[in-house]
Amino acid sequence: MTRLRKDKVEHSRRSFLIGSVGSGLLMAFAPSINALEVVTGGASKQLAAKSFNPTVWFEINTDGQILVNIARAEMGQHVGTAIARIVADELGADWNNVEIKHVDTDPKWGYMVTGGSWSVFQTYVPMSQAGAAGRTVLIEAGARLLGVKPQDCTTKNSQIVAGDKSISFADVVKNGNIERTFSADELAEFQPKSPASRQLIAKSSQALDIPAKTNGTAQYGIDIELEGMVYARPVIPPTRHGSKVKSVDDSLAKSVKGYQGYEILQDPSDTVQGWVTVLADTYFGAVKAGNAIKIEYDLGETANVNEQDIISQGETLARDKTSGTLVVDKGDIASAAKNAKTSLESVYKTSSVLHFTMEPVNAAVEFKDGICHVHCGNQWQSLFLPVVAKAVGMSDDKVIIHQYYLGGGFGRRLAGDYMVPAALTAKALGKPVKLVFTREDDTRFDCVRSPSVQQMNAYWDADDKLLGIEHGAAAGWPTLAMAPGFMPEGVDKKGKFDPFSIAGADHWYTLQNHRVRAINNPLAQKTFVPGWLRAVGPGWTGWAVESFMDELAHKQNEDPIDFRLSMLDASGKNAGEAPVSVGGAKRLAKVLTDIRSKANWGQTLPKNQGMGIAISSGQERDMPTWGACVAHVEVDVESGTVKVHKLTGILDCGTVVHPDGALAQTQGSMLWGLSLALFEGTAFENGQVKDTNLNTYSPLRMNNLPELDISFVQNTEFPTGLGEPGLIAVAPAIANAIFNAVGARVRDLPIRPEAVLAAMPS
Amino acid sequence: MIEFSLNGKKIKSDAEADTPLLWVIRDEFGLKGTKFGCGIAMCGACTVHFNGSPVRSCSLPISAIANAEIRTIEGLENQHPLQKAWVEHQVPQCGYCQSGQIMQAAGLLATNADPSEEEIEAYMSGNLCRCMTYARIKEAIQDVAAQSDSVVQIYNPKREVQGVS
Repeated sequence: MTRLRKDKVEHSRRSFLIGSVGSGLLMAFAPSINALEVVTGGASKQLAAKSFNPTVWFEINTDGQILVNIARAEMGQHVGTAIARIVADELGADWNNVEIKHVDTDPKWGYMVTGGSWSVFQTYVPMSQAGAAGRTVLIEAGARLLGVKPQDCTTKNSQIVAGDKSISFADVVKNGNIERTFSADELAEFQPKSPASRQLIAKSSQALDIPAKTNGTAQYGIDIELEGMVYARPVIPPTRHGSKVKSVDDSLAKSVKGYQGYEILQDPSDTVQGWVTVLADTYFGAVKAGNAIKIEYDLGETANVNEQDIISQGETLARDKTSGTLVVDKGDIASAAKNAKTSLESVYKTSSVLHFTMEPVNAAVEFKDGICHVHCGNQWQSLFLPVVAKAVGMSDDKVIIHQYYLGGGFGRRLAGDYMVPAALTAKALGKPVKLVFTREDDTRFDCVRSPSVQQMNAYWDADDKLLGIEHGAAAGWPTLAMAPGFMPEGVDKKGKFDPFSIAGADHWYTLQNHRVRAINNPLAQKTFVPGWLRAVGPGWTGWAVESFMDELAHKQNEDPIDFRLSMLDASGKNAGEAPVSVGGAKRLAKVLTDIRSKANWGQTLPKNQGMGIAISSGQERDMPTWGACVAHVEVDVESGTVKVHKLTGILDCGTVVHPDGALAQTQGSMLWGLSLALFEGTAFENGQVKDTNLNTYSPLRMNNLPELDISFVQNTEFPTGLGEPGLIAVAPAIANAIFNAVGARVRDLPIRPEAVLAAMPS
Repeated sequence: MIEFSLNGKKIKSDAEADTPLLWVIRDEFGLKGTKFGCGIAMCGACTVHFNGSPVRSCSLPISAIANAEIRTIEGLENQHPLQKAWVEHQVPQCGYCQSGQIMQAAGLLATNADPSEEEIEAYMSGNLCRCMTYARIKEAIQDVAAQSDSVVQIYNPKREVQGVS
């Protein structure tokens, strides 16, 4: 995690250039201090020549239009709006004049990834400083034109204002002759505006991407057409790894109108093994030909693996106290276990879960003038661009990924694996190719959220004082599969672990003895490519942590909120650090205290109804968003069916940059939490997921929409992230509510009616 | 050869008779606002109006639409009150399903001016939104329903202009 952050361009020390270019004003970070040393001339000259390829962050033209370039993927979070508002607020811009543009891959944009709820967190300071530098320069130039002193000027609504005099940004830009370079040190001097003087941040606004999404004009990857392109559809082999094509019989496919043959893909990047793509002059033709073609394979070694095999391996590993890598090792859990008078052991499991983005994965690829152009929506271009390059045998600088709106990300498009078969097919065919996965192809190629097994052990002394908790979490690891360079060492230095898959287990409760083991499940790893799915690790570690906390509270006969509060003392490592986690566990205690009254905790409910509490601190300790959720459920004791009446959520993410966007993200993420708790779960069957479409896979729909009561703690702390954290506490809150309603403790996700019935006290 | 009307314009397609309308709309006539989601009529991203009623174009072969009037999201021409409400309520997130959601909701309001909450839920539950924007979809529909006590007729602006009923 740390490494990913430090690699990021926003954190490097770079100069900032502002200059008149053509008829507009360009403001850009220089790529590095060293690059500047070899370039002579002022800011304008450098910017005009683009001689060192500056990262242009934003520009103002003579009409006063402000264009902000966005290097983040738009997948529903309105990220461009949030980032542009940070810049525009510092500039003092009229929001009506701001436009955004999502850019393609170019080294100048730096490392490109959109995930982890990082976007606002990571860009807040550099974009604030860039905006402040722009304001300074506009004021200096404006003051000269107005004949006043810069210190007497402010900016507002794209005007430089001094008393009763004012001049618009447009007029300042028209006047030209602006020239200024800020050193990295000078730039660092700018502090983000004080909350009281903000004009846009934390104020209500409409997202810039929304109108196009109501009239059919928003362009997604699947909407791309290339001149002379051929449509393709993949035939997904029986195993994710190790399949080999033995023979292809396309005699029946030949009767499909427009059928253009097939390609057996040879992939030097090893992303796809045993793949055939089927070609036609229409997509429906490719779909039909794909259904008609007969392929014989040598199967990979996981052809017979079932979900239970993976779960069983996880259970064995989680039980073995020597397995895995230590991520937390506070105190001495072994002696706590030895000295314990009483103990409790619970095992929590989660099933395989599909991303099921509404837009099936797809990519259109064209080789032109020695460049491989890939067109698609993607979240982590910098991870898969080199993979595509390797697959097609070109250097990284010869591959460009053109970005479009994503018809859902949720972590699926952090993996860019779907670009590879498109690129290989286009290369083999020598023509542009648009490869679209059918829904069934998409789910069978999904990098699912791995099934997981977590064993929790708690120990008490003779005075019934809680001594500590041991937590072993076994699953397939996305980061091991796709980005092993981002895996840190465990605290015992005995191996590396996937930080994204264990986050959440390193929670903010103060325990005397606490051990967390991150355990890779090798059978999961072999059978499929584990994926990052919205809320990633905390999305399932939170299930065990917060369900178990509830079990402990009940065992100690304490109110679950009081019990949690007693451990949220913000001592030691849980004190937090300024600026991002300032206050530490105290802020968690606050949301927990607030939700007690908000949800009217403790109210008398009708029979078979109950409330449950859970908290979250996602996505990471380095970037905590403090959250609490109360679920109000009703259980049908005949069928075991659970109905969620209401979800109450309180989140503290520091400054809320784009309030309505924050609410939308939290509505979505909390409902995702509900969907994963009750409605979503598949299973591996003979090496593949068994549910491939909506006839058997059933995410939440409007008929199961509960009442939502969501609020944000109003403060001015450093903004963290909101895309995912709302999800985390929902499933355990529901399970804890089920227990309070009917006394059934469920430990498997999704929570199926049969499991509720089976767990009912007799 | 199939003839039908697409957003008020008479057109002909030579596509194979079993080709789903979705691909004809998208790839032959270039109207990309109608989306491919599941291919089995269970997500609603491909919803269009067939003689005024919402249908799933991914599972409707063009042989079944001879002489029919087909309207897509583009055919609402940004004039439908639901489109305005969708912006006001900031409904879309990723936006991929929203053409289908709007077409489905327009179908509802065209026949039921003031649907109850339960009627909205029943009518809209065939349309999946993976971003889970359901609360806002419902609010936007209720908002439009509250604005008028007559059914929302303007799902077909061309029809009014041409005086065809």
